[in-house]
Amino acid sequence: MADTEQVAPPLKRRKVNSDDENEERSSPDRAFHSPTRRLAIRDRDIRQRSQSHDRDYAHSRSRSPRSRTRSLSRTQSPASRSRSTSSRSRGRRSTTNDGDDDDDDESRSRSGRYYSSDRTDSRSRRSTTDSRSRTTSSRRRRRPHSSTRSPSGSLPRTPSPPELLEPEPIPHPNFLPCLSLHGHTGPVSQVRLSPDGRWIASASADGTARIWDSATGAHMETLVGHMAGINTVAWAPDSAVLATGSDDKKIRCWDRRTGRPAHSVARQLVGHHSYVYCLAFSPQGNVLASGSYDEAVFLWDVRGGRILRDLPAHSDPVSGIDFSPDGTLVCSCSTDGLIRIWDTSTGQCLRTLVHEDNPPISSVCFSPNGRHVLASSLDSSIRLWDYIEGRGTVKRTYQGHASKKFAVGGCFCNTGEHDQSAIASIGSGGRATDEKRVIPDAGGGGEDDADLPRVHDAGASYVVSASEDGDLVLWDVKSKGVVQRVRKAHSGVCFWVDVKGDTMVTAGQDLCIKVFRNGNAAVRDRDRDRMEEDVVRANGAVVPPGGLRVSPPLDPEMMDADPASGAPRAAGTAAESNDMVVVVDAAAAAAAHGPTPDPVVKMEETQ
Amino acid sequence: MDPEPFKLQPARLNPEAAHLHKVAANFRLDPNNPNFEQNLKKAAAKSSNKFPIPQEHLTGMNLLLSDDYLIQDHPEVLNHTIRSGHSTCLRFNRKGNYLASGRVDGTVVLWDMDTMGVARKLRGHSKGISSLCWSRCGRYLLSACRGWLVILWDLQDGKKERQIRVRAPVFTAELNPTNRHQIIVACYEEDFIYCDAMNKLSRKYVLPSAPKRDDSEVDEATKEKWAKEDAKTMTTAAIFTPSGKHILAGTNKGRVNVINSNTREIIYSEKVCTGVITSLRVSFNGSDLLINAQDRIIRTFKLPELDVPDLDPDTIQLNLEHKFQDVVNRLSWNACCFGATGEYVAASTYNNHEMYIWERTHGSLVRMLEGPKEEQGMVEWHPSKPILAVNGLETGRIYIWGVTNTQKWSSLAPDFAEVEENDEYEEKEDEFDIHPQEEIAKRRIDREDEEDVDVLTMDVPKGDEQEFRMPILYNLGDDDSEEELIAVSTGTMRRKSYSEGQGDVSLDGETIGEGAAGGPSAGPAEKATAKKGKGKGKKK
Repeated sequence: MADTEQVAPPLKRRKVNSDDENEERSSPDRAFHSPTRRLAIRDRDIRQRSQSHDRDYAHSRSRSPRSRTRSLSRTQSPASRSRSTSSRSRGRRSTTNDGDDDDDDESRSRSGRYYSSDRTDSRSRRSTTDSRSRTTSSRRRRRPHSSTRSPSGSLPRTPSPPELLEPEPIPHPNFLPCLSLHGHTGPVSQVRLSPDGRWIASASADGTARIWDSATGAHMETLVGHMAGINTVAWAPDSAVLATGSDDKKIRCWDRRTGRPAHSVARQLVGHHSYVYCLAFSPQGNVLASGSYDEAVFLWDVRGGRILRDLPAHSDPVSGIDFSPDGTLVCSCSTDGLIRIWDTSTGQCLRTLVHEDNPPISSVCFSPNGRHVLASSLDSSIRLWDYIEGRGTVKRTYQGHASKKFAVGGCFCNTGEHDQSAIASIGSGGRATDEKRVIPDAGGGGEDDADLPRVHDAGASYVVSASEDGDLVLWDVKSKGVVQRVRKAHSGVCFWVDVKGDTMVTAGQDLCIKVFRNGNAAVRDRDRDRMEEDVVRANGAVVPPGGLRVSPPLDPEMMDADPASGAPRAAGTAAESNDMVVVVDAAAAAAAHGPTPDPVVKMEETQ
Repeated sequence: MDPEPFKLQPARLNPEAAHLHKVAANFRLDPNNPNFEQNLKKAAAKSSNKFPIPQEHLTGMNLLLSDDYLIQDHPEVLNHTIRSGHSTCLRFNRKGNYLASGRVDGTVVLWDMDTMGVARKLRGHSKGISSLCWSRCGRYLLSACRGWLVILWDLQDGKKERQIRVRAPVFTAELNPTNRHQIIVACYEEDFIYCDAMNKLSRKYVLPSAPKRDDSEVDEATKEKWAKEDAKTMTTAAIFTPSGKHILAGTNKGRVNVINSNTREIIYSEKVCTGVITSLRVSFNGSDLLINAQDRIIRTFKLPELDVPDLDPDTIQLNLEHKFQDVVNRLSWNACCFGATGEYVAASTYNNHEMYIWERTHGSLVRMLEGPKEEQGMVEWHPSKPILAVNGLETGRIYIWGVTNTQKWSSLAPDFAEVEENDEYEEKEDEFDIHPQEEIAKRRIDREDEEDVDVLTMDVPKGDEQEFRMPILYNLGDDDSEEELIAVSTGTMRRKSYSEGQGDVSLDGETIGEGAAGGPSAGPAEKATAKKGKGKGKKK
């Protein structure tokens, strides 16, 4: 954590707390946090709310005078808060045409890129977070021991299946650097792979978004049009259209093929009153959900570019948004610490998830089956929520990365992705820890064609997250063990990571985009086709997974000196000195004999 | 009620609990939900109902969190009014996410029910659309117009997949639900046509309209009389059974014919009413038949099992279930349809503004929907939700009726619960115990490992039909805005209309219709029906 402090952020984006925050600020209103107090305080809270209603619009915008009220209402009653939000935003909307208002917005935009320090005061959890961070670091020191156990994935208390039934262990994914894409002149705030996995879209603070070919790294298009830095990019499900959201408060839709706006009448989606921070397309592609600094969630009719619904969602900037796989639910999260689940068709809030510590949430996504929600929070934790059971329960907490200020993203990574070949899925199916999977695999081969439909639930799943120290961390969903840590993937903050199949892309503060491929995909597939792997080896190229179908022809311009290690990094030529390559070899060799050793351990040794 | 006991007890000892357990499983109720008991009661009431919700409809993830669908099951309020041209005909696709609307000018407009916006426009007809039918997968749409033309559209690219010319204005054209190459067309005073287009060339067959009669033991005079009568018999409405193996056809003599779609022969016919049969509908699960006839009575019938392999035509029976009519006002019905589960029947009234909704358990009227001050034409019930789409005959607007959704405040604040009356709070033993913060966090994190977690397995297995996703068009053009006002006379069908501000004059200076009197005018077809209607009104 200390090293993140040193990195002077050249850009405001995704910065969520200011540097000069008062660390000593303790939480006098912590006592209110117990359930009984909360009920008792409800009355008072309403009175406070009505006061804040009477306040002048401009007043309510500058937050310092209200910070006291806010800190109270934050802890106590999210419901009343949301109501007050709605009324406030309505008031705001009615006045937007004023010139004065624009000025106000401007001034806010200058300071508002950071959370102003009085805001941080109002967040009364500083002391907790501090102590937590200490805990975290101690955990990290311990990790090598704990994680040597983890790869097997067996939980101490779950009835572990008999060893005999366990087929040949399938190695964890091992992502190796493959490409480094340059071109952006500002830090890259978000990067996403298209649903078909062929394209990479990146959003940058330089006001442009770019499209790259994910196989070759070739630059396809530069999308120019936004008047300010771009926060977010989202792909339509057909991979032909993408949407970008920017600090100029607008959302634009682009045609991937032409690089021009998708609507013939250059139609921007205008309506937000502040920076557009996050976007998500519905699985049908007809609705776009956006979250903004104006604390609202908008659902847009993509075809007509009009607002379908505005949901008075939160009382702080909306930091993340996602659609459930069937499109009936929208999940939004905010730095007010709440995760809300909405019904797309009615606009009702169906669930609110809030953790006892109430940490600000920085990004959110649904699990592949839509039954869970993965939320990254600014206490350097990622929590997996079951939003149905009870009234939402935390199922897993993943720690080991750094996320305190910036909204760095996390996502799921499935080695047995549905769109991949059945081969890959069956192969990864062996690594199962739950009984359901071991039974069909009892034959051991995983070759059983009759079981093909079960391939769907046979994939191993991982959680991957960017980290503020530039690392990438990969956890096993079930065991919570760190499966891989890519050190210094970016110099400075790594903002975002996205995975599709065996390809992983990351975006960083160092203006570049990195593409990684799963080094163990080849190992995984080896049993199916030893020949192909031999070809790869013969060529001397470490072109894994992916690699088998997309060997990256190496463009010298694509490669650069690795900012972290200082060594020239070339995916194909694999300099021996490169620590990451050492990991590959170790993992590959080990995979041939038995269970994969923990790559983290190896890496630390090589350092 | 504790969910556990009936999980453990054998069904034989406690059939009631076993039944409830089954109900809970069917409705995918979460036993850990605080409202579980309540929900279970509602669900049990629903499933003991004669009209269970088809499993196909219980797939949305939002249903795991909301139980509204258990309570409100018929539309009550007018939620949207949408408009693109003058709509004459409506039909939902099977999934219910698109609504096709046929217009007076021959354009077919597809509405996205998620966004209430136009998703696609299909131009190819030149006269008012009289019938629409979706393929089961949702990719193909069959439209028929009064201009003697039937078109099968491929919605992937919006192009015509097939075009069939007939020799008269079309009443109904239906697609075989299991085979989009088989089409039946019922025309005005013309043969009833079955079109098999499996090959490149489509082959047309004339289907019989005259009823099947046992003519072995009748004299010549009767035969002659029958022959005369049969010559005048026309098929006025037709529909495929859900399996596609049979065709149900209604004639102008009030008979229903069951036709085998392979042999194209009538296997059964029955006189069900005296007037002309104007429309036939089959419920979602295919067990019931709804018939609207000109004798001002809507009838529901139990359909016999037609799909059994060794079907004996002599055993077929069409059993009348209910007759819905307004005895007092002697209203006749413009159109009618089944509700999503088959529990309700909705109908629009002729020369009146109301719509009636009956329930089928007892056959009683549950609701009259009134709102728009105009006569309503087609009624279409959403295949899974309590949503009713109706088009106004005068303005051609489409009215979407639905239910009101109220926000549950407790879901905004996880710490609150909505209770009927005050509860005594019982303090837990360790509630105010003080532990070091780190220890609490650690304990919490360790506790997580006790439960298994699965992020990949889908709760709801996907259906076997591959899902068709309609391409999203970004450039429908501004002429396609919903404010568009189309009122065109015969010669100028392809002209687009212009905004209301420009008056009732189209570009070539032709005055349009008689809409100047008040509101947008109706197309010629509508005028015709209106006149016909008035005539009848006088008779009454």
